[in-house]
Amino acid sequence: MKFLNIEDEMKYFQKMFVLRREIEDFLFEEGYINIEPSIFEGYDEFIEINSRINKKSTVKVLDNNSEILILTPDITTGIVNKFLPRWEYGQKLKIFYYGKTYKHNGTGIKENREMGVEIIGEKNSNTDQYILSAARRIISRYSDEYLLEIGNSKFLKGIMQSCSFNKENYDNVMELLYSKNRQELKEYLSGLPFRDVMSTLLNILDLEGTFDEIMEQLDGLYLNDLMKQGIEELRQIDNEMKNTDHRVSYDLSMVSELSYYDGIILRGYIKGSNKEIIRGGRYDSFTKQYGQNIPAIGFKVELDELIKVLYKEEQK
Amino acid sequence: MSLTIAIPKGRLGTQAIQMFKAGGIGESIDEKSRKLVFKDEDINISFILLKNSDVITYIENGIADIGISGKDMIMEKGADIFELYQMNIGRCKMSVAGIKGKKVFKDDTIMRVATKFPEITKKYFDSRGQRINIIKLNGSIELAPILGLSDVIVDIVETGNTLKANGLEVFEDMYHISAMMISNRISYKFKRKEIKKIVELIRGEDEDGQDN
Repeated sequence: MKFLNIEDEMKYFQKMFVLRREIEDFLFEEGYINIEPSIFEGYDEFIEINSRINKKSTVKVLDNNSEILILTPDITTGIVNKFLPRWEYGQKLKIFYYGKTYKHNGTGIKENREMGVEIIGEKNSNTDQYILSAARRIISRYSDEYLLEIGNSKFLKGIMQSCSFNKENYDNVMELLYSKNRQELKEYLSGLPFRDVMSTLLNILDLEGTFDEIMEQLDGLYLNDLMKQGIEELRQIDNEMKNTDHRVSYDLSMVSELSYYDGIILRGYIKGSNKEIIRGGRYDSFTKQYGQNIPAIGFKVELDELIKVLYKEEQK
Repeated sequence: MSLTIAIPKGRLGTQAIQMFKAGGIGESIDEKSRKLVFKDEDINISFILLKNSDVITYIENGIADIGISGKDMIMEKGADIFELYQMNIGRCKMSVAGIKGKKVFKDDTIMRVATKFPEITKKYFDSRGQRINIIKLNGSIELAPILGLSDVIVDIVETGNTLKANGLEVFEDMYHISAMMISNRISYKFKRKEIKKIVELIRGEDEDGQDN
């Protein structure tokens, strides 16, 4: 946000400080430990992990060995890179952080403030629920008109495994799903084999709404084990969430810019805002590249977007 | 729940408004008036008339929930929106064209391409591994090869008449273009049912149009 006079800018800083502290206090009391993330990442490592990210948008810097580093576009990647190489069996981390991410946005470098939460090394039936509930408690504090949207990357991954697309096909299909472009998807797929699977892939854009609506739409579609597992996980969540909250919807075609998610994906929106306020999910398989499959789940709150919502509320 | 629909001014918009009206919404729109905002009070839907290249901007920023824009604009902007329905209007092609009968693919120089669509052009030639020089123009693209500003052009071709009249011909078709119904990503989450209703209405009109 930009301000003409210093007074308004001071009010903004004050507001941002309070907002940060409210969320930090909440997470601290919930038993999360605060860490300070680094702002540098290795360019090659980052791109390898996050192949869907727009490479041009990363902000590069050189170190004194002429290695290319980037200012972090995603803090979770940095946290995994920081802790997983030293991971000890049985370790559990419940952490939160405040940090900035950086991206070129066409006109300059965009700094983005965020607050993140991660639980690494623990997975039982409650962990997903625990994270979802933390996300809900944060977002509902700032607006009554919020929506939590939950997907499961296992579903799409299941389809993609059965299709064994090459990288180009895979990227193109993901891009079309991301923009919900039904007709072009159909046209594109008509040129490819794997008929059974296609029936589900063609209809995947209808698999959104309440859990029951999705179950109806699923009838008669191709499902493999991984896809079924994805749906079962969502059913469990739905059973729990139903009693506490109606502002939850599901989307099985959810595609994330960051490709490491492996299970539940979470988005939080507030009406009147124009970006996701909360983004996160499970990323167990991300940790595998360090030799161990450590369960991990987390989300982040987009503070810059959230504070815009607070300003809007004030004007009402 | 209120809904705001962005419509491009011009031929595409006129066609779209006809489709809305045939489907029973947009009664309030009067294209002859100079007003730019209309509202169907009874169903709480607003219509805003915009320059075609601004439709995406209004939708990306959430001022309009849904709207109609050419696929060419969406590709050029790399717009972060949902592309909900490919309409049966505004159909044309994006093509590479040049002076009729003239060989432009020389081995020793980098081809110069004049276009209104630098991003699309760059992506297309990049994917073929061909190095080019892009010359960004804002209109009368056909002039560029004639006057020697460029070797070829990349532009929208509807009938090919403009090309012909200027002694140019299509060398290669790149993409099919048509009008798309697009929506803001967050609006879609909160107003999914209302938005889908509008998309279905347009789809119905499209199909009726094809039958005739």
